[in-house]
Amino acid sequence: MKDVKDRYLWDGSGDPDPEIQRMETVLRKFRHDGAVPDFPQNLAISPRTRRFSFLSGRLIGFAAVAAAILILLAARMIVREPNPAPVTEPGWNVARQAGSPRVGAKTIDGNTISQRLGVGQILETDSQSRANITVDQIGEVQIEPDTRVRLIKSTPQQKRLALERGTIHAAIWAPVGEFVVDTPGALAVDLGCAYTLHVDDAGAGILHTTLGWVGFKLDGHESFIPAGAACPTRPKVGPGTPYFEDASEALRSALSKLDFEAHTPQGRRLYLDMVLREARARDALTLWHLLARASDADRGLVYERLAAFVPPPPGVTHDPTARLDQRMLDLWWNELGLGDVSLWRNWERSWSPGESNSK
Amino acid sequence: MISWFATSDAGDASMVEAARNGDREAFGQLYSRYSRMVHGILLARIPHTDVDDLVQEVFLSALPKLGALRDARRFGAWLAAIARNKAIDFHRRSRPSVELTDQNVVKRVDGQITGRSEHAEGLVILAAIRNLPDAYRETLLLRLVEGMTGPEIAAMTGLSHGSVRVNLHRGMQQLRKRLDQIRVTARPDLGSLISG
Repeated sequence: MKDVKDRYLWDGSGDPDPEIQRMETVLRKFRHDGAVPDFPQNLAISPRTRRFSFLSGRLIGFAAVAAAILILLAARMIVREPNPAPVTEPGWNVARQAGSPRVGAKTIDGNTISQRLGVGQILETDSQSRANITVDQIGEVQIEPDTRVRLIKSTPQQKRLALERGTIHAAIWAPVGEFVVDTPGALAVDLGCAYTLHVDDAGAGILHTTLGWVGFKLDGHESFIPAGAACPTRPKVGPGTPYFEDASEALRSALSKLDFEAHTPQGRRLYLDMVLREARARDALTLWHLLARASDADRGLVYERLAAFVPPPPGVTHDPTARLDQRMLDLWWNELGLGDVSLWRNWERSWSPGESNSK
Repeated sequence: MISWFATSDAGDASMVEAARNGDREAFGQLYSRYSRMVHGILLARIPHTDVDDLVQEVFLSALPKLGALRDARRFGAWLAAIARNKAIDFHRRSRPSVELTDQNVVKRVDGQITGRSEHAEGLVILAAIRNLPDAYRETLLLRLVEGMTGPEIAAMTGLSHGSVRVNLHRGMQQLRKRLDQIRVTARPDLGSLISG
């Protein structure tokens, strides 16, 4: 390999390639630990005495070992697969991580092989339990303690889970929009990668995106939450305004009031002013979402503040944007560099209206 | 990169001979030396949550067949073939994934607490590698996940140096391309995370 970087790929010599080093770092946790298992004593291999003699010690030894292994494997199957019923229904595999999670009425304990979560079934953890769901080759969902989820749908085109309460961490590599989570306050649509979603007993939720971005939707309300950002939801209200988690406390507090508490025009204007005052360039995320949430009278203020941080691209002008022209809003969103909104619009077109979250 | 693999064919042959003669310690040494190779080969084909258990199964099923191995110096290539067949069996059985061991649970939970985004990023890269052609994904996983060098991969799997070089080079080219696509379409921050 002539390229210096390829020398690093070949044998670790030469100048390190930062991209490969990064891959090594994040993939290292999947490496085999190399520890030699404690093979059972009955696997002992009889010593060979005469290699080529018929019925030599070696042959007898291996016959004994083979028999022992067969017994071991048979015992292993009996112990680990007490109900090896064929799986015909669509569903996902659930593995216990701690405690005793339950799938329907069945408890997954230390002696149970992973359980199948079928469509319509509920997976529930108590305060001591954790579980891991393998989502049909497209991702993983970690179930934290005190969580209740229900599998709504599992088809090649769509995987849909309802989070009724508690916390999940999803890492998804499916095509955009294939993995969807219902919450009492909004529908969370995976637009790539990883996020944490929490729903409390009252149905209020919050989503934190770790990697990629996620769309939140309830009826006409929608929010896009890129990595490093969060977005709350409330039942019957829908998704609030997303914000980067390093935004000032004052901005986040004012945003919460604006989204869920302030109902008079004066009150809303008060909190909107606070948000506009606190906003940094990075908070263009929040300002873009406020365009659709501000009153007609206040929208011009949001437009000007956003334009100061991220000038509207060619073709995007004040008046149509103030009338919430979808095409112009989308063009401006793409200018923020947080994701291509056409992915979301494509998903919206493919989403059956009958499936929208109506809670 | 520090090489912790001893890759001498003669060393392997003597250990295989010793294992054939009932030397459990020699069998343990073979396990230590080759378990990462087996792990990487399986990881290229089955869900990562199922791999650890299957590594052990590969060795358990290889042991009674040691007598059929004509050339003890080809132990690595022979074991790699068993691992690939085991992965095929796994898919034929279509069984549910096996439960994690307590040891692994601790490791996984610790990892998620200290670096959840790294875990997610790793899963995405892992998925991207697993979508590459067979020859590339196996070699790349041995290099990037199991930490083996090109010469070690060649020595263990029985592939020529040239084949391993080509697989690494072309596989990495395709992997970078896939990750770039992910970055510019649905996952805008992934690329910046990968490059640190």
